[in-house]
Parts: sequence; C-alpha cells; structure tokens
Amino acid sequence: MIVDLIILICFVILGTLAGALLSLIPSLHIYNTAGIALIIWIQAGQFIPFDMIAPFFLSLLTSFTFISAIPMTLIGAPDESATATILPNTKYLMTGRGYEAVVISGIGSLMGIIILAGLSPVMFKIVPLTHRILAPHLHWIIMAVIAYMLMSEWPKGEGIGETSIQRLLHAWGNLFAGLLTFILAGLLGLFLTSRPLIGPEAGFQNLMPVFIGLFAIPGAIQHLLSRQNIPNQFIPRTVEITSKDVAVSGLQGTIAGGLAAYLPAVTAGIGSIIAGHTVARRGDRLFIISGGVAKVLYYIGAFLLLYLITPLTPGGIGRGGLAIILKPVLNPLPRELLLMIGIVVFTACISFLFLLTASRWMISWLKRFHYHALYWSSLALLTVLVFWITGWEGFLVMLVATCIGLIPVFYHCRRSNCMAVLLLPIALNMAGHSSSVLRFFQLE
Amino acid sequence: MKGLTHFISGIAAASFIPDVVRLSTTSSEASNPSSASFLLAIAGVYAIMPDTLDFKFGRFFEKADVDISPKPNSIDPCEMARTFGMAIDRAWQENREIRVQFNTVRLGADKWQQYEIKFNTDRQEISIVIGDVVTTSQVPFQGTAPEISTGTYSLKHAKLMPGTTRNTKVDILSGPMYGFVPEKECVRVDFLPWHRTWSHSYVVGLLLALPLWGIAAIGGWAYAWLYPIVAFIAFATHVTEDLTGHMGGSLIWPLYKKRSKGLALFHAANPDANFVTNFIAVIIIIFNLDRYGSRFITLPYYQYFLFFLVGPLLIYFLPRTFKKTAKIPPDLLRQENHPDIYRQKTDSRFEEIQDESESVIT
Repeated sequence: MIVDLIILICFVILGTLAGALLSLIPSLHIYNTAGIALIIWIQAGQFIPFDMIAPFFLSLLTSFTFISAIPMTLIGAPDESATATILPNTKYLMTGRGYEAVVISGIGSLMGIIILAGLSPVMFKIVPLTHRILAPHLHWIIMAVIAYMLMSEWPKGEGIGETSIQRLLHAWGNLFAGLLTFILAGLLGLFLTSRPLIGPEAGFQNLMPVFIGLFAIPGAIQHLLSRQNIPNQFIPRTVEITSKDVAVSGLQGTIAGGLAAYLPAVTAGIGSIIAGHTVARRGDRLFIISGGVAKVLYYIGAFLLLYLITPLTPGGIGRGGLAIILKPVLNPLPRELLLMIGIVVFTACISFLFLLTASRWMISWLKRFHYHALYWSSLALLTVLVFWITGWEGFLVMLVATCIGLIPVFYHCRRSNCMAVLLLPIALNMAGHSSSVLRFFQLE
Repeated sequence: MKGLTHFISGIAAASFIPDVVRLSTTSSEASNPSSASFLLAIAGVYAIMPDTLDFKFGRFFEKADVDISPKPNSIDPCEMARTFGMAIDRAWQENREIRVQFNTVRLGADKWQQYEIKFNTDRQEISIVIGDVVTTSQVPFQGTAPEISTGTYSLKHAKLMPGTTRNTKVDILSGPMYGFVPEKECVRVDFLPWHRTWSHSYVVGLLLALPLWGIAAIGGWAYAWLYPIVAFIAFATHVTEDLTGHMGGSLIWPLYKKRSKGLALFHAANPDANFVTNFIAVIIIIFNLDRYGSRFITLPYYQYFLFFLVGPLLIYFLPRTFKKTAKIPPDLLRQENHPDIYRQKTDSRFEEIQDESESVIT
C-alpha cells in the first residue's frame, strides 16, 4: 500500500516536472508531446506500470495549465502593427509588469482548481443529466457558436472613404480576412476528415500538423518578425486582487472553461469570448484571472469528464485532447475520480510554486538572450517533430495550415477563426449533413 | 442588451415551438434522423441581426452633410470647430436635420491623434480640443498634444438643447456621427442618429425573415414555413429587449420613422441585466429541449425553475443585500424634467450606444 503510494507520488512528480519543462518551450502545446510520451510508455510497458498512465498524464496536463502562462506572457514582444490584437498579458509585459501577469494567471489557475474540486460533487449529479438532454442538440449549439463568433467580430478599419462602398470596404478589411480564414480552415477540415493524408501509424497525432500549422508556426513567425525588445521587468512583492475580481473572474472563467470543456472543438479562447460577453464585464486583470480559471476547467475538467460514469452516462463523457489520446489505453473507474482530483490539487500546489521561480528565472534569462533564439529553436523543433511523426504528408499539411494561420497574423482578425478546421466538420457531421457537403465539393 | 444576450434570448424564444426542437434533434425519434436542422442556430443569427445591420452595414451607408476629416500632422482645431459650429447653425437656418461625421486621425500603425468634441450649452459654444497621441489601446504618449490645442466657435443662430449634448473623445478606429435636429426653439443633438432606426423595426424583421421560406422550400427542408417564423420571433425578441434600455427603436419603420423612447429600466451593458437574462434564457432552453425531446427531467416545472433558476439567482444577488446604497427619493425619479435626472438619462443613452457597439468587440 505504502509502496504503491510512493510509486504514485513519484509518477505524479515526474509528470509535473516533465509538464513544466515542456510548457516552457514557446509554441509547443502539451498535446503535441503527450502522444509521443504515450508511445514511449507503451513500448516500455514492461518496466512501467500501466495504471500510472492517468496520474502521470494528468499531472503533466495540470502542470501545463500553470506553466504555459510563462511563454504566453513573457516570451516575445509584438511590434506596433499587432497592438490591435494583443492580449492583456502582453500589455502587462510591455509595461514591465509581465511577472505580475504571470502570477495573476497562476492565481486564476489555483482558483480554477478550487472551483473544479468544489464543483465535482454537484457536477456528478448535474452534468450527466444535462449531457443527456444536450447531446442530440450539439450540432446546432456548435453551429450557433460558429455563427456568434463570426457575427461578433468587429470592423477594425476606420471606415473612411468618398463613397459608402469605399467606407464599408475600408472598415471591413479584417472581417473579410476573418471570413476567409474561417472558410479556408473549414474546407481544410472537411478535406482532412474525408481524405486523411496521414497514415494510420501516425493516427494518434493526425491533427498535430494542422494545429502546429494553424497556431504554433504563425505565432512564432509573428514574434520573429517583430523588432521590439522586451522592456525591463519589475518584480513586485505583492499583487493587487480584490474580492470582486475573484468573484467575477471565477464566474467568467467557470463559464468559459465549462463551455470549452463540454462542447467539442470549442477552445478556452472561444469560451472566454462568450463568457466575457455573458457576464458583460471588462478589464485586463479580470481577463487574465478568468483565463487561468478557464484553462484549468478546459484542460483538466474536460479530461475528468471521462470519470463521470453514471447510469445516465455509462461510458463517461470523453472530451478534450488528452481524453482522445489516452482513451484507447485507459479504463477509467468512477471511484478513481476522487484520486484524480487529489492528484490535480497536489500537482497544482507544486506547479504554482514552480511558476513563481520559473518566471523569475525566465525574466533574468531573457535579459541575456534574445527571445528570437527561443522561437527559432521552437520552429526547428516543431518542424522536425511533424516530419518525424507524420512524414512528408504531415509536413505538407502543416505548410498549408501555416498559410491559413498567417492570415489572422497579417490582417488582424480573430485567430479563433482557424478553429473552423474542427468546428465545421464536427457540426456538419453531428447534424448528418457532412456527406451532402462532401458530395458538393466532390470529396466523398 | 449585449449581442450575446440577444443571441441566446432569440434561441430561447424559438425553443418554445415544439416542432423547432423536434427538427433540431438528432436522435432516433427525430422526424428525419439522418439530417437535423440548424433552426435554433438560425434563430440566434436573426436575434443578433439588428445590431449587425447597424454597426457593420448601416453606418457606412449613412450620408453625412458635413464630413470632418482632420489631416494628420496639420490638425487645425479652430478650423474644425468652425466647420462643426457652422453645421449646427445651418441646421437651424435651413430648418432641417444636418448630420456631421467626425473621422479619426491615424498617424501610424499604432498611433492615433486623440481629440475631444465639447459642448457648452450655457455659453452656446462648441469646442474641439486636441489631445495627446494615443496607442490603439488608448494609452497616451504624454506631452504630445500641440501647443495650440483648442478651437472654439460661438453659435450665431442655433441654440443647443440642454441635456442632449455630451462631450465625446475621438481617437481609435472610427469616429462618431452627430445629427442636429431643429425642434421648437432649440437644436436637439442626436448621437449616432443611424442607430436603432430602420434596423430595429418589426416590419424590417418580417421582411428579412420571409426570404428564408423560399430558401427552405428550394432546399427541400422539412417544415419550410417554420423558418421565417423562427427568424421573425428571434428578430422581434431583440427589438423588444432593446425597449428595456434608454434608447428604444423605430418599431414600425418605415410606417412611422421616429425613434421611440425606451423604458429606461437598465443600461444595455448592465452586467446584472445581461447575466440574468442569459441565465434565464439558458435555463429555459434546457427546459424546452427536454420537454419537447428527451424528457429526462423528472421534476415538475415549478421545482425545476425553483432549484435551477430562482436558487442560483438568489445566490448571485445575495452579496448585494449586505451592501449599503444611497437611496434616491421616488418622486425625484419620476421627474423627467429635473435637470440632474434628465442629464443622467441622456448620459445613459450615450453610454448605452457605446456599450452596445463594444459588445461585439473582442
């Protein structure tokens, strides 16, 4: 019993450290490496106990939700052309308050852990029932999310011109770019789901080249093109958060994370936009804290839905990238939920302490080395990773996806439009319309 | 109300029609299990449409009588004030509405020249005050305002109606439009005169909904007649919800074009109003999806709404009950002509427009 516990703690700490180190690499998503880690695990199966898979990967994921705030906030300084689309974390960085933003985000994630642990008993009752009611309606809910995302983007041009058409076109530049991104990403998604280019041997990471191309590489390119330097950073002893900030951002983050965790293909970013409009409050600090909460619920909460095994949901509710990666080798039992929550809480405490140290270390490191070096290394790593796992086919898919992903970078529309690569095929498939749409494009 | 609130409310309203829910269900019991409808998503689209028409289309097609486009690097506040003031005088002299469009001044990729439009109804003056250069995040570069930064024009003929004016800062993205309408002995100032006019009309909603019938019929979709009904209900939900604010709308444009006043119950961006409306809408949607579909909820309706609606809302509002707030005498609240109350209500109208427009900004 004690030996089992020690082994468990060792794997949890191992997962936490691995997650923390991988999360420090900019543009690299934990899901990109989780699949590879699983393959290594399976091949070394005789030496490593299989029942440690869930604790290891869960601590890896938990650690990522905390530490990913460091590359997101501290590494990279956008140039002035990108200021219309930068996030509050970056605003903090550019005013020398990057460390503060990282700590606030970490506090948000801690809040997310408390909310997750606190809500678990309630969720056990409510989520299965809600799931059974909503499951036959997910197609239109996802389509409604798509429609709202497209309709709620705002013209960013000044709208100047002699004629009405000139004014409209001048203002609508970013909206046209957003629509174009959405259509192209959606078509790419339809194409890839109907004619998978990547062989079955790399099937466990079939979406990796698409996501690296749509998000990671354009993000890295944006930072590499920027000539801005990171300003000197101030490390305060305290951060200022009011009880109202905690209450409002907790609510906002819970809505955002809850939506993203439950709705297929809806990310924490999309969830945050919707949640921000739901509670109708604004503010940079609010955004950062609620982002921390949302990340926890989106990544960890979605995975834990696997353990929601009830008479209404006998197979659990599989959501999120990690659940997809681990489902073939995982056999979740409802009684394990409490253990999993315990692991999450334990990992969160270590990760938060590591966050404070690692962000200070990163700030001092960035004084000596230019952040471009990190992005060049990251670009090389991602390209090698895609080529190694998915071959030429995956590499080509990544290039096409990169071209689409660069549109939001250069034309300042929402990057979440790229998520059409999943949203559109899933919504059409769920509604039973995918075959007719594929037939229309002669892809069937 | 904010965009999302309209969106969800529209879906909630449409979910009261049993056939809409049945058509939108993908299950073995559905009328056509192989292809479920996106009708409820369409309801959302139509529910957000009035503001989309205004802020994404309509405003670019509104013609201004006077266009004020300051030149970057050689901004002349005196000239701007003179052009602006003369336009107001012209409205009075010609006894017709004159619309003035202010444009922003972009100095670089992330640099904008800020300026403020000021009204002084006591002295019947308008002023243009050039401020600092600001970033797209509206952070000023301190000390960048020009030496001669203010231009003032004393109105020669027109008299501004007190309580209808509001100072406005112009900096990033697009600038505001003002309408000056002669009324009795004064000129009324209309901020964004194009907003909540034709786009917030039940008649227009009906006209926009009808083509859906044709599209659904051509597409061979089941219950084609239901599509325009759902679209109109969603559109009308938006128009009706907006009546709770300060501005109202032109409800039966083009039959009667004047914009009605709202009930002034709360601001379009009021967080509580928006959140509560969203929450009620979601609880209603789940209730309707269940009762016309899966029937998993075994509670009677009053218990369902008590546990899932009233209970959570009590928890949401509970902390406020311990907060002390200053009370305004009820008789004062009813005095429309009391200058302070009047000003407060006018300010609310302006803020409502700006908040509503920002509801679609990310």
